[in-house]
Amino acid sequence: MSITSYNGSALIAMVGKNCFAIASDRRLGVQFQTIATDFQRIFEIHETLYVGLSGLATDVQTMYQRLKFRHKLYNLREERNMRPETFASLVSAMLYEKRFGPYFCEPIIAGLNEDGTPFICTTDLIGAKQLSKDFVVSGTASESLYGACESMYKPNLEPEELFETISQALLSSVDRDCISGWGGIVHVVSADQVITRTLKGRMD
Amino acid sequence: MSMMFAPRLTEAAAPTTHAAPTWSPYDNNGGTCVAIAGEDYCVIAADTRMSTGFSILTRNYSKIHQITDKSVLASSGFQADIRALQKNLDARHQIYQHQHSKQMSCPAMAQLLSNTLYYKRFFPYYAFNVLGGLDSEGRGCVYTYDAVGSYERSGYSSQGTGMQLIMPVLDNQLKSASPLVLPLRQSTTPLSEVEAVDLVKDTFASAAERDIYTGDGVEIVIVNRDGIRHELMDLKRD
Repeated sequence: MSITSYNGSALIAMVGKNCFAIASDRRLGVQFQTIATDFQRIFEIHETLYVGLSGLATDVQTMYQRLKFRHKLYNLREERNMRPETFASLVSAMLYEKRFGPYFCEPIIAGLNEDGTPFICTTDLIGAKQLSKDFVVSGTASESLYGACESMYKPNLEPEELFETISQALLSSVDRDCISGWGGIVHVVSADQVITRTLKGRMD
Repeated sequence: MSMMFAPRLTEAAAPTTHAAPTWSPYDNNGGTCVAIAGEDYCVIAADTRMSTGFSILTRNYSKIHQITDKSVLASSGFQADIRALQKNLDARHQIYQHQHSKQMSCPAMAQLLSNTLYYKRFFPYYAFNVLGGLDSEGRGCVYTYDAVGSYERSGYSSQGTGMQLIMPVLDNQLKSASPLVLPLRQSTTPLSEVEAVDLVKDTFASAAERDIYTGDGVEIVIVNRDGIRHELMDLKRD
């Protein structure tokens, strides 16, 4: 039993027209036993920057705490919020520091650049960055998520359409993975607003 | 203090450890198969790439085999085993035809395939099969198998290296009722034949993007009351 599939997780981020969406499932399990159905995997770093973390739940929480700490310090020193690309490099560097004893989590970084264009990227557990123009996925259901996103994604979707697309992709994929699911949560972020919705799918 | 557990096996009686095997009788030639059952048709499709390891052996290899006028078998996995399996089924079907003066129905062929696979339960055919065709009432049927013959009739299925990529998309678009739910409901999709073929083409195009073993081309076979029709679509060759 792999350590990265101990708790189960599923994450997607998608790029839309001057907006992005980031979504995750809500299950926290210990192998096949479900422990919680409201586990938070997506965290706000600042208004237009979100990070989602898949993998081992303890590392998800620790990485978030460390990232929040680093961004707060950056904010105090620079007197501004971090840009998404910079944040992605920070995540990558922090993960590589632990190259020979890594955090078992695979983050997804999603944010809006200063000019309003969306930015998404993912890294592996030791910090190899993977930028993408369309979508990134992470978690135990990643193969299913790749297939669903590849079929359903279209470029330049408006926020409402993007919400529909990412929700359908997430729910269809977690339904084929027994250790992720129990609903979903989706954040659709544009320059002026964030809409957060929870999804009700197969609650198993 | 004496232990309460069963006495430890002596060295002589202890099972011998096997060295890591250097040669495997199996190989995976990759590829993906899909089938969708409609009201009066069945679509069976498979990509045409045959690979071994990270190399491509050929770009146009057919994974689809027509066994009867109404049953078509698509298999991914180890193609040598699949060839042997196809020959086996053909021979058995020929005998059936001699004995019963008629062709086997698709549900009968489904059972035969299951039995044939389980016959080699302890040295299996490395074959991941999808059987498609028309049942005795002319309705589309799809049967999906594991390597040792466990099977189920369903409205659609996919097998092979691209299975995990394709299945969620088929679930989303087709969502047929489970055969285990009572009262038993029709598992065929209400989609038209043309829509089903388009769906198959879309899913293969998506699978070819992310699965390295799927690509080159898709062979699509459509079985309906007028007979059997073939279509071929190109896929990315990378």
